[in-house]
Amino acid sequence: MSMRRHGFWIGALCVLALAYGLTLAIRNEYAFFAGFIILQFIVLATAWNILGGYAGYVNFGTSAFFGIGVYTAIFLFKALGAPLLVQMAGAAVMGALLGFVTGLLTLRLHGIFFSIATVAMTIILETLVINWKYVGGATGIQVLRPPVTEPFDSYIKMLFVIGVALVIVAVALSRHVQGSWIGRGLRAIRDDETAAECTGVPTLRLKLLACSISGALMCAAGAPSAMYLQFADTTSAFNLNYSVSALAMSLIGGTSHWAGPVLGAIVLGVTQQALTVTISSELNVLVLGVMLILFVVGAPEGLLGLLRKGWARLARGGGS
Amino acid sequence: MKRLDLIKGAAAAALAAIGLGMPAIAQQGPIKIGMSMPLTGGLAAGGKSSLVGIEVWRDDINAKGGLLGRKVELVVYDDKSSASETPAIYAKLLDVDKVDLLFAPYATVPTAPLMPMVKQRGLLLIGNFSFQVNHTVKHDMWFNNAPWGPADTWPRNFVDLGIKHGAKTIAIIAADQEFAQNLAKIAKGIAAEKNITVVYEQNYPPATVEFSSMVRAIKASKADMVFVMSYPPDSVGLLRAVQEIGVGPSVKIFGGGMVGLQFSNIMESMGSLMNGVVNYNSYLPEKSMDFPGAKAFFEKYQKRAVEAKVDPLGYYLAPFGYAMGQMVEQAAHATKSLDHKTLAAYLRANTIQSIVGPMEFAADGERKVSTTLLAQFRGVVDKNIEQFRQPGKQIILLPEAFKTGDVVVPFEKARQ
Repeated sequence: MSMRRHGFWIGALCVLALAYGLTLAIRNEYAFFAGFIILQFIVLATAWNILGGYAGYVNFGTSAFFGIGVYTAIFLFKALGAPLLVQMAGAAVMGALLGFVTGLLTLRLHGIFFSIATVAMTIILETLVINWKYVGGATGIQVLRPPVTEPFDSYIKMLFVIGVALVIVAVALSRHVQGSWIGRGLRAIRDDETAAECTGVPTLRLKLLACSISGALMCAAGAPSAMYLQFADTTSAFNLNYSVSALAMSLIGGTSHWAGPVLGAIVLGVTQQALTVTISSELNVLVLGVMLILFVVGAPEGLLGLLRKGWARLARGGGS
Repeated sequence: MKRLDLIKGAAAAALAAIGLGMPAIAQQGPIKIGMSMPLTGGLAAGGKSSLVGIEVWRDDINAKGGLLGRKVELVVYDDKSSASETPAIYAKLLDVDKVDLLFAPYATVPTAPLMPMVKQRGLLLIGNFSFQVNHTVKHDMWFNNAPWGPADTWPRNFVDLGIKHGAKTIAIIAADQEFAQNLAKIAKGIAAEKNITVVYEQNYPPATVEFSSMVRAIKASKADMVFVMSYPPDSVGLLRAVQEIGVGPSVKIFGGGMVGLQFSNIMESMGSLMNGVVNYNSYLPEKSMDFPGAKAFFEKYQKRAVEAKVDPLGYYLAPFGYAMGQMVEQAAHATKSLDHKTLAAYLRANTIQSIVGPMEFAADGERKVSTTLLAQFRGVVDKNIEQFRQPGKQIILLPEAFKTGDVVVPFEKARQ
């Protein structure tokens, strides 16, 4: 176990070093712009999966968390001139608190009713921010990011590396949750919450924990977006697209394992970016819709499920 | 085939992404003008119409032998009407497509994230109908095609018109969205400055469709003028409520900033309900606005608009898309250069002759003088789109240079 854990962290360090290496090697900044968006979606999908995949509570409020992350960063930047990492930490704290409140909703709401409540939460929070003039309200707000800090030569490259670091944190947390008593408890809740409660699983505590971790990660993913765009408006920050994408990415990748959302986010994120600059019309919305339907019908366990099946068939074939 | 294209596209993107992109193309190839445009999402109707305008310019200039002897090519991506899409798209336009010039997408929100980017990279950006987007960034190579001019001119014109006809009080209604809120803030400032009492003030959430309570409140407030800043669905809802309930005989002028009453489909469906409304506009087919090239442009546009299924009249945005092209055309021909700094210096110092009239730019890149029209709908009948191609349906009240008639007050009389 400890060897495997070290293996993960060594791998993570290598990925981080590779990301930094890329910022030195590649001059073309488009790669980092597009890459940053994909990294953002990996974090969102991974965070969504902690609650949605492991515990089976389908959260449609990803955009609420993302938006709060964006606006926490804007607030901290405008009020205190806080640097990016402080903005992200602040957003994570806000996210954890908001997640905690969402977790309390699960006391009374299950299944579809919980999902509807999370959509309502997005609308409520968006309306609140629309009426908060200090952070721009309905008019939106432009911010000018500070100069880039060493050792990076451009801000977008720095954001890219920070994005990679955030992905590592998200995956590490998701992996830890999955493999520990928390994950076992969440899976018990997903299968039968009453039975879990009766057998002594601390269901409320686990749900609160999962909601807080998931919320913190989603908000932390939203925070750098403020400095990425140097602009925030409620329509973009609370865009339902984040909720739908996070969910679709997890479903396409597979919800049972931490690698599923990562894989799903990479596949869907890359496709989205490629479609934006190739087809670039209504058709690209259609392509994504068709992809989602195909996966839900053809591969209900997602890409991971397909890979597992393929692997098992290969193994059987090899053995015979 | 599509799939193959997709794979090819993705492969090209992947190659470019890992830095194997070709070096800058030969200098004498076509001149590429890059932009994103809202082709899907909430701003798509405007975006598509604007793009047709730009395409007509591209074809015109290519028919004349190109820009500086080089063919003009447009590189356009869909930004889905979202601010979060544009930075990556413009990075691709600059770093992968290596475009020579940049046009901004239609509207403020998708443009806002680009402003710091073009400032940091020192690039010329031709704006497309955004509102006060350079206010924070203060980029000195930004030039907006929109007729707005100084931010307060247009609400000021409306308030002044009311005062001229004896108004002492105002009711202000604004949608909780970017453009409307910006204007509402300015209108309130002007009212305070002119000692006009705000007797009713209401912001409403963007999805509101039922306005009868607001219209009743306006009627009860006995305001002398009603300044409305609404978006297309709300403009429709408001006018229907006004038709049903009325705003009372005290109201001299009604309207101001109602978005939507410039779009063909809404104009056609609202018909006579618009009569009497004094609203902003950008371009109207009146004699005073018959600038060289305008007629020929609309003939071409209106033919294409049918095929492209976009706004068949196209007065509001499309000629300004064409004018964006004319801005770079005149600057490039005069300076014999495509250098962004040189072009910006020219645009700052010279008057551009365009199909929407002469354009002069102030230090902030907005028009030196506002040419935003205040026009009153008059004698409009129901379900007839052709009537709007003729002069006389929207009388231009301001600015003086384009004036075609006087306002009819009070509002209820003008509606008859």
